[in-house]
Amino acid sequence: MIAAVGAPCGDYGECDTFKPQLTNIESLQLGALTFINHCYGCHSLKYSRWGRISKDLDIPEKILTENLVFGSDVKLGDRMTGSMQPAVSESWFGIAPPDLTLVTRLHGSDWVYTYLRTFYEDLSKPYGVNNMVYPGAAMPNVLASIQGQQVLSCKDVPIIASNGGVRRDEYGNDITEEKCGYLKTIKGSGKLTQQEFDDYIFNLVNFMTYVGEPSRSVRERMGWYVILFFVVFTAFSYLLYREYQKDYH
Amino acid sequence: MTQQSSGIFNWINTRLPISNTYERHLSKHPVPKKVNFWYLFGALASVVLIIQIVSGIWLMFGYENTEEGAFASVEYIMRDIEYGWIIRYMHTTGASMFFAVVYLHMFRGLLYGSYHKPRELVWIFGMTIYLVMMAEGFLGYVLPYGQMSYWGAQVIISLFGAIPYIGESLELWVRGDYYISGATISRFFALHVVALPLILIALVFMHLVALHEVGAGNPDGVDIEKYLDEDGVPLDSVPFFPYKVLNALVAIGVFGIVFSFIMFFFPEGGGYMLELANFEEANPLSTPEHIAPVWYYSPYYAMLRAVPDKLGGLLVMAAAIAILFVVPWLDRSKAASIRYKGILSKIAMTMFIISWLMLAWLGTVPVTALRTTLSIIGTVIYFAFFLLMPIYTSIEKTKPVPERL
Repeated sequence: MIAAVGAPCGDYGECDTFKPQLTNIESLQLGALTFINHCYGCHSLKYSRWGRISKDLDIPEKILTENLVFGSDVKLGDRMTGSMQPAVSESWFGIAPPDLTLVTRLHGSDWVYTYLRTFYEDLSKPYGVNNMVYPGAAMPNVLASIQGQQVLSCKDVPIIASNGGVRRDEYGNDITEEKCGYLKTIKGSGKLTQQEFDDYIFNLVNFMTYVGEPSRSVRERMGWYVILFFVVFTAFSYLLYREYQKDYH
Repeated sequence: MTQQSSGIFNWINTRLPISNTYERHLSKHPVPKKVNFWYLFGALASVVLIIQIVSGIWLMFGYENTEEGAFASVEYIMRDIEYGWIIRYMHTTGASMFFAVVYLHMFRGLLYGSYHKPRELVWIFGMTIYLVMMAEGFLGYVLPYGQMSYWGAQVIISLFGAIPYIGESLELWVRGDYYISGATISRFFALHVVALPLILIALVFMHLVALHEVGAGNPDGVDIEKYLDEDGVPLDSVPFFPYKVLNALVAIGVFGIVFSFIMFFFPEGGGYMLELANFEEANPLSTPEHIAPVWYYSPYYAMLRAVPDKLGGLLVMAAAIAILFVVPWLDRSKAASIRYKGILSKIAMTMFIISWLMLAWLGTVPVTALRTTLSIIGTVIYFAFFLLMPIYTSIEKTKPVPERL
């Protein structure tokens, strides 16, 4: 494998960077759709409520209840408790799929973004897949049909000499060696191209980042006003302080 | 109307010492006219105390002190209560900022010898406040009942078990159960929101009463009481109100900018203020790979880990705090302020700062052999600073302290 042990994204090494776009409502809506269709069957978002998603993501109640909420007895004020009984799922997967409300805060959005894109085929595993970020993950690659077949492959890479340069033979050609552990998607095996799939996961993780802390975009906007208040407050109290200081200097 | 209200005021004032107190502690309370920014952290600490009390009361409206409900209730506050996230981040940021300003306030004390005669009691009350704050912070950290709450509590409570003879029973008594459970949460809750805040407020009151009795110090260590005007007011002083209040107001403004910047943009403080592992509910069956305290305990946690023996580690950690209490009697220097102390004190102070910061870093990272060695070196320097203080402060040559400020 490529990376050292103990790297933030496991065998993958450093995680890919993820910069959330919490004001990009379209991306959040697409992400919510993906989550409900592909993740919510097993994973709950139990601290979040349907109504909050509808309000924050500009999804009209009618559209939400008709297209996303599966179950006529679900009310908008209900928590998104998922549709699987933990006891049942535990017997199916050996471990109950965790609630994902706070997963982006626990592991970081970078980690989740990288994790979801690094499943690869591994026939030694029960579901035929393994994950580079979290080896031995007890989760099937539910997005395989969309991403296509991703496999570990080998390729020739230049050998780096001890002085940091590329080693060359007497004719000046780079000396290469075969290294394995690179992810490769088999072209045409999935519904989306690699770029499209990355965007697809981006929207999903963007939504999950939002669900982790729904007030974050409000917080970051409000922060500037509060700071502005304190800047003005400081300026005026400084002027007052300077005026009074003349009494004893 | 005016006459009537002054009539009411007089009626109350003859029964309650309003104007006396106002004059004694505000409008006529003399404070040194020349101090620097280091003298502002005490005022800021009282501001944070108020923030913590007010935000804490609001948090209690939504918090549930049970094993099943604690974690979810914090998320309830964060999501379902209007602006609950502001209250919570104010409290978590406030906790870190409380320690930040108190550490700077304590450091000011060491730097300018604020504990010198006659301010020993002020220092001791202050140190007791710090000790109670540490307990208060720990108890509060357990309440959200995340993974780090649980495992942090596990580490700290098990320290009681290291005490010979009574250890095991003491551990059980503190925990209220054979393992950390709802019983632990509800007692920690009671202590965190009632018992310790009451003690804290009482101690802050005593700290201020003692301070106003002996008067505030200054960065030169000059005794301003030596030169008085005909009314007995020190010549180098100004009344607390309005002059020093305005001083504090500017400080509060700047502090507000820093506080809000952290609170609104980095509420997790990079995982040092809100540890990321705490976004997962407590799970007694899965130990986190790396248990680390929040930043403000980390120097002492590094000392605890530096000693291989559990009881030994506990004693070293306790001694590291206890030794701070006796600083007024360890410092034998004629000069209070570092400005007039000799070269040995300056070297010792520099070594102390480096070792403290190094220990603070070491307490947050996983152990390696090298880091353990560094922790031991840091701990030795920390103790040497205090234990050798009677020697280096008495043999070094001090500069003459000026008569006037």
